[in-house]
Amino acid sequence: MNASAQPLIRLDGIKKVFYTDEVETHALAGIHLEIAQGEYIAIAGPSGCGKSTLLAILGLLDTPTDGTYMLNGHQVANLSLSERARVRNREIGFIFQSFNLIGDLTVFENVELPLIYRGMKAAERRERANAALERVGMAHRSKHLPSQLSGGQQQRVAVARAVAGQPSILLADEPTGNLDSKNGEAVMDLLRELHRAGATICMVTHDPRYAAHADRSVHLFDGRVVEENVGAGV
Amino acid sequence: MGIFRELRYALRSYLRAPGFAAVAVLTLALGIGGATAIFSVVDGILLRPLPYPEASRLVKLGRTTATGSMDGAFSAADFLDVRREGTSLVHVAGYREDISDLTGVGEPVRVPGVQTTAGFFDALGVTPLAGRVYTAADEARGGMAVISEGLWDRQFGRRSDVVGSQIRVNGIPTTIVGVVSASVRHPIKADLWNLAPGAVPTSPIPSGGLADREVQYFAALARLATGATMGDANAQLQAIGERLGQQFPETNRGESFHVRPLAATLVTDVRAGLLLLLGAVACVLLIACANVAGLMLARGLARRRELAVRAAIGASRWQIARQLMVEGLVLAAAGGAAGLILASWGVDLLVALAPQNLPRLGDIQLDWRVAGVASLATTAVGLLAGLAPVVQSSRPQVNEDLKDGGRTGTSIRTRFRSGLVVAEVALALILMIGAGLMATSLARLRAVDPGFHTTSMAAVDLPVPQSRYDGPAQGRFYSEVLGRLQDSPVTARSALVFPLPLRGSGASAAFDIEGRPSTGRPAQPIAELNIVSPDFFQTMGLRLVRGRGLASTDVEGRPPVVIINERLAREFGSEDPVGRRINLGDWITVVGVVSDARRESLAAAPQPALYLPYQQFVLPYMSLVVRTDASEAAVASAVKSVVRELDPDLPVETVRTIDQIVEASTDQPRFRTTILLAFSFLAVLLAAVGVYGLMSFSVSQRTSEMGVRLALGASPGQVGRLVLRQGLALAGLGVALGLAAAAGGGRLVASLLFDTSATDPAIYAGLAALLLTVAALACYVPARRAMRVDPMRALRAD
Repeated sequence: MNASAQPLIRLDGIKKVFYTDEVETHALAGIHLEIAQGEYIAIAGPSGCGKSTLLAILGLLDTPTDGTYMLNGHQVANLSLSERARVRNREIGFIFQSFNLIGDLTVFENVELPLIYRGMKAAERRERANAALERVGMAHRSKHLPSQLSGGQQQRVAVARAVAGQPSILLADEPTGNLDSKNGEAVMDLLRELHRAGATICMVTHDPRYAAHADRSVHLFDGRVVEENVGAGV
Repeated sequence: MGIFRELRYALRSYLRAPGFAAVAVLTLALGIGGATAIFSVVDGILLRPLPYPEASRLVKLGRTTATGSMDGAFSAADFLDVRREGTSLVHVAGYREDISDLTGVGEPVRVPGVQTTAGFFDALGVTPLAGRVYTAADEARGGMAVISEGLWDRQFGRRSDVVGSQIRVNGIPTTIVGVVSASVRHPIKADLWNLAPGAVPTSPIPSGGLADREVQYFAALARLATGATMGDANAQLQAIGERLGQQFPETNRGESFHVRPLAATLVTDVRAGLLLLLGAVACVLLIACANVAGLMLARGLARRRELAVRAAIGASRWQIARQLMVEGLVLAAAGGAAGLILASWGVDLLVALAPQNLPRLGDIQLDWRVAGVASLATTAVGLLAGLAPVVQSSRPQVNEDLKDGGRTGTSIRTRFRSGLVVAEVALALILMIGAGLMATSLARLRAVDPGFHTTSMAAVDLPVPQSRYDGPAQGRFYSEVLGRLQDSPVTARSALVFPLPLRGSGASAAFDIEGRPSTGRPAQPIAELNIVSPDFFQTMGLRLVRGRGLASTDVEGRPPVVIINERLAREFGSEDPVGRRINLGDWITVVGVVSDARRESLAAAPQPALYLPYQQFVLPYMSLVVRTDASEAAVASAVKSVVRELDPDLPVETVRTIDQIVEASTDQPRFRTTILLAFSFLAVLLAAVGVYGLMSFSVSQRTSEMGVRLALGASPGQVGRLVLRQGLALAGLGVALGLAAAAGGGRLVASLLFDTSATDPAIYAGLAALLLTVAALACYVPARRAMRVDPMRALRAD
């Protein structure tokens, strides 16, 4: 990690308050966080500590109530809906706990989908999608539907979809949460390989074993960063 | 390229959800098809202009009688006065439907014909296909006819030399001067228009010629003069009527004349029924729209996770909206195509089912404008509903949808969808009640005893042309026919009558009772006029109540006699009418009283009626009734054989049973009742699909809640009842609204009902209960599904 370089992500005083009827819920209470290019960071903490909310804000799926969010040096906290969609498409790759593959589309089409939204030409799309599937070892299943795959295979396809667009950062939300330990380990190995190849990864997990795979783990509690461990995964 | 990919995805997604696709396409097709078919009928009959130039300026002339009723029949003298003095009208023409026996071209054939005065085609503004049409310059020349394109085809093989060819019409040498297109149908599906030999059509009964104001026997049409309005014409005709009333009080007191748009007069009797059908199909279209909206909303809700994933990986709202629009349009295209096929079949089916006396039946064709509007309406509703998830998507929702697949935070859309289902149920009940009232009315109408035998009875019209048969010849012909038929075992029990009952036609006459002061018009009593042979009463099963029947000795030269019915006998109060005399122009002695029978229609109560012996008052329009167990074919053969022996040039019309005539008299109510029943069935089906869809969706959304309830100790029955209660609450609300709306709108159909109250509580309650039962059945499958929820799996899924 180059300390003098500008961080890929910089959060300053990020707050998130949910308002429901007469109740205010402070999900995030002033988060300061930097993620460097090429870093592998785990966000850990007990259930309800705000880690998924933080990931949603990092992924521009949600907006903070207060604070600044710089991505690649650009303020992205208050972009319009269409701008956020564009940034998500080009800069961020998502890996979800429940895979979230689209059931009507084949494996290849699922991986190709973000590239279609980007407006990429068909030949380049095909090349990138095939490369991503090769990378996760799922090229031989490219014509299958998600329902024809095991959970572990589906998550590998989801990883392929996330990396196909060569985003700046991969955001993984409990990527092993729906997998058995064997498949969970396989996915973690895959993420580690991606990281070694240069990917920046931010993973939410409540499992300390998986958090240990990361370069750095950030522990949240009641919406605040309460602990940071550096070098765990190195 | 992107569109093709989206099309492919859309098709694939529907193939993977064939149930949804089939229901949505079928719903669209039924809505579009039904609306288009019915509107095409309404448009063809009620809305489309008549196929003549400046058709809105064509008017039909009528009389307003002293009692205020409208009548379209004119006497010769009244017609000529109106034609001469009515300067706000041009091309005033008289016409009368008449038998037209065509000879001189192959076999003698009887065609639907009209005898008109010379200005008839000038009024319509018809351009002939071949030759010319007769005009005012040909007035009173006679011997000239214009034929239809259909007759030109059938009888002359479209020969080019048909114009100028000589034929005989009712025995009179006639020259065909022209051919007009099939679109010229006024006033009926005529095949031959025959120029009257005088200034007015020939009278079917003895009259006082051009000066006669007593015998009103022909209709009149005209065109508004340039610059004249309908108001101008009506004011002028009313003034003419008032003048004639003062000048000829005996015949014209209290009467006036009027004009009405020709198109409107053709459809007066069917307007209310057709508008009712239009209302019904509008209900079906609304239900279809609501159903499609509900289906698309449900699909949108069920796909929220997928849409959230698309958003998460960078799809813009436009890209998602476009995908949904393509999906919606694929559905709409399939539904629209299926709808058009249904509409095309529907129009053919409606025309086939429609009573043959429905006016302008030939003008009905598939209306592409309506098909387009109905397709657009349902498509727009489907698209809007399908796009709801995109329109409503907000920042936090994407994240939530990714987590829970859109099972929470949907109360607004669920409430909206519930509202749609309530509306569907209400509309379905309105239709069911409409159909229930009509069906009850029809059943009661068909159960009416007409007062005569209907089974084992055959009938055939035997009109003879006046040109070849004068009064005495008519009497001789009918007497000979009847005598020969009565000699045959098949037709031994035969009788003559004018008119045949239940065909909506006939003559009536004003009369005075001897010994009572004549009130004159308009207070003079009126009775239905029937001409019969002596065996008529026994053949038809009318009971002789008092006096004697008609005898074979009641012939020309003997004292004139008449039989009256019980209804007319009441006019005599406590006095015995037998032996009393009534004045019908001449004094006639009442010799007997028979039981009442319905003549005009089953719905119309028996009116005072006179039965005159045909050998004293013959008309050239007699019909034959035969009581027999033999087939219609056997009767037809016997009648044809006898007629051919007597007059080889006289065609014999189709023999029908009296049952068929009775059945045909209820054609129009049966037609609209059949369609209403079909639509109400459709509406109930769609509403049931709506209820089922909503409850199924609700159960799938609340699976975890059901799991929690079961985990907390609820029995499966309690969970099932929860679903049932929710569904029935919505259906109950719909039923309440439907009942209120039906009761409020009941008066709109009251005029179409026979012996049935538009707010009959038994019909309302029965159909409400039926609809609630259907709704309960529609809830049953989702309720069963809720009862079978595995609490462990449901809670784990959460």
